[in-house]
Amino acid sequence: MADGIRRPVLAPHARYRWDKVRSEHQLVFPEGMIVLNEPGKAIVELCDGRSLREMVAALKEKFPGAEPEDDVREFIGQLAERGLVHDAAE
Amino acid sequence: MMPPRELPRPRALLAEITYRCPLQCPYCSNPLELARYKSELDTATWVRVFEQAAALGVAQLHLSGGEPLVRRDILDLIRAARDCELYSNLSTGATVADEKMIERLREAGLDHLQVSLLDTDPQANDWLAAAPSYDRKRDAVLAAKRIGFPVTLNVVLHRHNLERIGEVIETAFAWGVDRLELANTQYTGWAFRNRAALMPTRAQVERAQRVVDEKLAASTGRLDVVHVLPDYFEEFPKACLHGWGMVFMAVAPDGAALPCQTAREIPGLQFPNVRDSSLEEIWFTSDVFQRFRGTDWLPEPCRSCDRREIDFGGCRCQAYLMTGDANATDPVCHLSPHHHLVAEALAEAEKPAPPLAFRVMRT
Repeated sequence: MADGIRRPVLAPHARYRWDKVRSEHQLVFPEGMIVLNEPGKAIVELCDGRSLREMVAALKEKFPGAEPEDDVREFIGQLAERGLVHDAAE
Repeated sequence: MMPPRELPRPRALLAEITYRCPLQCPYCSNPLELARYKSELDTATWVRVFEQAAALGVAQLHLSGGEPLVRRDILDLIRAARDCELYSNLSTGATVADEKMIERLREAGLDHLQVSLLDTDPQANDWLAAAPSYDRKRDAVLAAKRIGFPVTLNVVLHRHNLERIGEVIETAFAWGVDRLELANTQYTGWAFRNRAALMPTRAQVERAQRVVDEKLAASTGRLDVVHVLPDYFEEFPKACLHGWGMVFMAVAPDGAALPCQTAREIPGLQFPNVRDSSLEEIWFTSDVFQRFRGTDWLPEPCRSCDRREIDFGGCRCQAYLMTGDANATDPVCHLSPHHHLVAEALAEAEKPAPPLAFRVMRT
């Protein structure tokens, strides 16, 4: 299922949130949340319907020297499994 | 006040803003003695509670009840939650929500709507709610989806509707909801009183699991399904709310702060009130939030069990309701000395069901 995602968009019930109290990035959804690290936050921000390739390019620009392709696929797959991203074409 | 460093902060607040409700669901998690808690917090107090919650580390606000939409200040409360940057979810029976109201909820900043459906058979739905409500629920969900509102459909499962679990999934697809919660009845509150009338048979539960798997494997649409299995049929108890006083707190309509919304069932606990104390004081220092926090209080066989940090001994309310002792291991655990009580309840479910007692506010 996750493999089928070409252009990830955040599910409408998921919201990114900066937690001032804990100084942490959160992806909040009806029954819980995921605490994001910096790369995770950057990936979530790019889930706006652009392609995975464009996401990887944007991340390379943001984190010079990084090879984020595998991480992006894995993380998008995990989010898709929990219904937190879907494909823009759906 | 400097909180103890090692203690976790809450991530979610359940605001039960009223116990009033036009429906009479016989598995309601509200207390049986509803009429004892009639004095509701006013708008200003709830707003103060939301501000204190956000400052304490709460990210997520669940507005619930009763029926939260019967509060005339519901839009003000949602705006206040948005101003505190809380993620807001409203759990509603949706019988008092017309299309205009749903638009207003969205405009006020509500992030997510959770609508209860009792059954896909309209007659069965209206019988269980003791009120004509199926058509209104459907219309509310469709109105919400027309404006792109994220919606979870929540169906509480029991012996009277489990046969239609396939239809439940079809309905969720047909109505275009984003999420479907298939939540087996938790036997606290009214549901414990009605346990023999609600408990499914083992054959029903096993068939339902198969139907869910088949339906989802065959579907192509987008629907996030959360299927909560009935804990009576499992080997180990649930980690109720990820542990007492670890990530969750509830505030009842009268302002009582509760480590879990059904904690009032346990006699002898004193619940601090948000009218008198701040949420921070309550969370870090009140006796009741420390009563079952962590693992130091655990009885055997939990204390020496490898799973003590996984399920924290299970549900305190369930332990009390079944054994009469809130300190006991949750009888759902197969290692509990009281596990025979679960087996007895399951054996009872194989017999014809007694009549249901519907939720009423006796005065």
